Amino acid sequence: MKPRFSLDLARPSRRHWLGYLLLAPAVLLIGLIIIYPLIVSVDISFQNVNIARLDQPRRPFTTANYERLFASGDFWNASWVTLKLIVIVSLFCFVIGLATALLVNNKFKGRTFARLLVALPWAMPEVIAVVIFAWMFDSSFGLMNWVFIKLGFIDTTINWFSSPAAAFAVVCITMIWKGYPFVSIMMLAGLQSIPEDFYNAARVDGANAWQRLVNITIPSLMPVLGVTLVLVMLWVFRDFSIIYVMTGGGPLKATQSLSIMTYEQAFGFFKMGYASAIGVVTLIICVIASRLMIGRAPDNI
Amino acid sequence: MLRRTLTVLATTAALALSTNVAFAQNKVLKFVSWQKDERGVGDWWASVIKAFEEAHPGVKIEWTKVERGAYADTMTTLFAGGNPPDIVHLASFEFQKFADNGWLEPLDPYIKDSKLDLINWAGQDTCVWNKQTVCTMMLYFGYFLAYNEDLLKKEGLSVPKTYAEFLEAAKKTTKDLNGDGIIDQYGTGHETRGGGGQYISEMMNYTLDAGGRWTDENGKVTINTPQMIEGLSRWKTIVKNNLTPRDMSAGEVRQLFADGKIALKMDGPWLWPIIQKGKAKDQIKTAMVPFNPPVGGSSNILAIPTDISKDNKKLVWDFIKIATSDPFQSTYATLGASPPPSPRADIKAAKAENPNFDLLVEATQAAAKAKVDRIPKGLEIQFNEFSKMVMEEAQRMIIQDLDPKAVAATMQQKAEALQQQ
Repeated sequence: MKPRFSLDLARPSRRHWLGYLLLAPAVLLIGLIIIYPLIVSVDISFQNVNIARLDQPRRPFTTANYERLFASGDFWNASWVTLKLIVIVSLFCFVIGLATALLVNNKFKGRTFARLLVALPWAMPEVIAVVIFAWMFDSSFGLMNWVFIKLGFIDTTINWFSSPAAAFAVVCITMIWKGYPFVSIMMLAGLQSIPEDFYNAARVDGANAWQRLVNITIPSLMPVLGVTLVLVMLWVFRDFSIIYVMTGGGPLKATQSLSIMTYEQAFGFFKMGYASAIGVVTLIICVIASRLMIGRAPDNI
Repeated sequence: MLRRTLTVLATTAALALSTNVAFAQNKVLKFVSWQKDERGVGDWWASVIKAFEEAHPGVKIEWTKVERGAYADTMTTLFAGGNPPDIVHLASFEFQKFADNGWLEPLDPYIKDSKLDLINWAGQDTCVWNKQTVCTMMLYFGYFLAYNEDLLKKEGLSVPKTYAEFLEAAKKTTKDLNGDGIIDQYGTGHETRGGGGQYISEMMNYTLDAGGRWTDENGKVTINTPQMIEGLSRWKTIVKNNLTPRDMSAGEVRQLFADGKIALKMDGPWLWPIIQKGKAKDQIKTAMVPFNPPVGGSSNILAIPTDISKDNKKLVWDFIKIATSDPFQSTYATLGASPPPSPRADIKAAKAENPNFDLLVEATQAAAKAKVDRIPKGLEIQFNEFSKMVMEEAQRMIIQDLDPKAVAATMQQKAEALQQQ
């Protein structure tokens, strides 16, 4: 008796079906945990809703959240703070990360231990790192005030978390400390993939260390640099715990990034429609920035 | 002794609630709280749960701790997902959003049926939302003054009784003890970092004494009054002159005080257990705050969610009845070391155990009499935004050295805008 339905995956014309079948569970899962919440978030952003519930009727469509958002000084301030954080933290992460990668890529005694030290901040949980830095920069009993006074840099204590500029600086320092090991590890991996022949040939041609760095190392690292830059930028963009635990976005919103603003509106003020609008705008900015960087990366190789 | 008392209480509760046993077989009620591991009050909740379970064979309470910092998020997510805990425990400044969404069951029929007497129950007025009782108040407190007697004596100071005396004492006891340019000892201690709710509670020590209120009885914003401006000036004086350590959380400030690094501290009943574990335990004495009226307010509430079954609602009400019963209100005083909200609670045992208990009661009554609450009338729903706004404007006043009159005007304008949202 002939079967009513058969799926002959051995047939050359249907071989690709197996691939789709094997991918299907992963695609469904991604759809469920990423795409669906994203759709819900976009939907809520177009409703005037405080605390959102999925089992309640949909509120009328409105663009009020977006109108309010783009007219809000707080949003532009948070965007500016986020941009400053991205530029400063990414730049310092790259400089320190590349320098430490170059250092531990050399052969010297204790190299394994040095590599461990470089990677250590990356392994430390963010909240613990923040607590340590918060203690170091404590305004009344912190280590940094004591050190600066002893060294004669200041004659009175700095209220690190009561000064907008100082608080921003402390957040940047903590993020750089936490973020540079990732760059360092990626760069180290990139450095180890550069053939030694390139350097030997350059040496034969009389290139000095600086010329080898600029003409061989950096160009060879460009593919890794591009991807790392995007990942670091996205990390700074979405990082929440460092700022939230350290300053809560203050003082005077000096450290309020878009992610902190989203959280505050959603779970502090229970304005989930407005918070979703901030989240959607943040997502669009992230996608555009990532696309621009990834898109440009091949040209630089 | 305590175990025996609790057993007796449990048996009493079991007998009182035996009528409800029949329908409650093999059920699990979810109870989420941030107070689970807190010494004292956590033990009291455990005793209530034990009594409830003994009175309801087959019903278990699944008690889960959620940290205070993540509490509002967690509860919002649970409610929004249609899966609220059966026993709702919320802070008194956050339940309004839940009530306003219709997520809390009106309790008036339950109160009427069970003849629960909530007359003169401290802070219970706060639980009335849109003319319906949606919760029972579990704590109303008043601030008292704790002072380090040694530090005051060294400066030849007596216990301050007015703001002027307090300011003088705070100035004289704020010191750099070893001459390294860093202040090691502070006159007083306030949280100046963290949430807006605690920040405005700290400010209220000074604004209330100056005669100021955020809003009047009708909910009209009254921040630009001369009294409030005077209160803001006092706050600026204390913080700007570093008479309090800066950028510290409430917990850190309390610990510094308990360890003898702060001379004067105004706080609620929860300060006492912290003092007992501190290094300066023997030097710390207590008195009424040098301000009138003292800061006070409602603290936390119990409620029933609308989204659970009728049977579960009845069970949760039984739980609330046990927690609000006279015997358990009496043990609240001893275990929680705080004046219970019930006017009928027997607090003799608490007085015998805690030499400050009379003072705590006096402070609570003084605050209640003056109708002091951290949550301003007319701004309950917007409280989080309001307190954040006040904190930011006060910080701006201190950082940018602004005139308190101008700051009060800004706060007034922003608070009115919040009310109109």
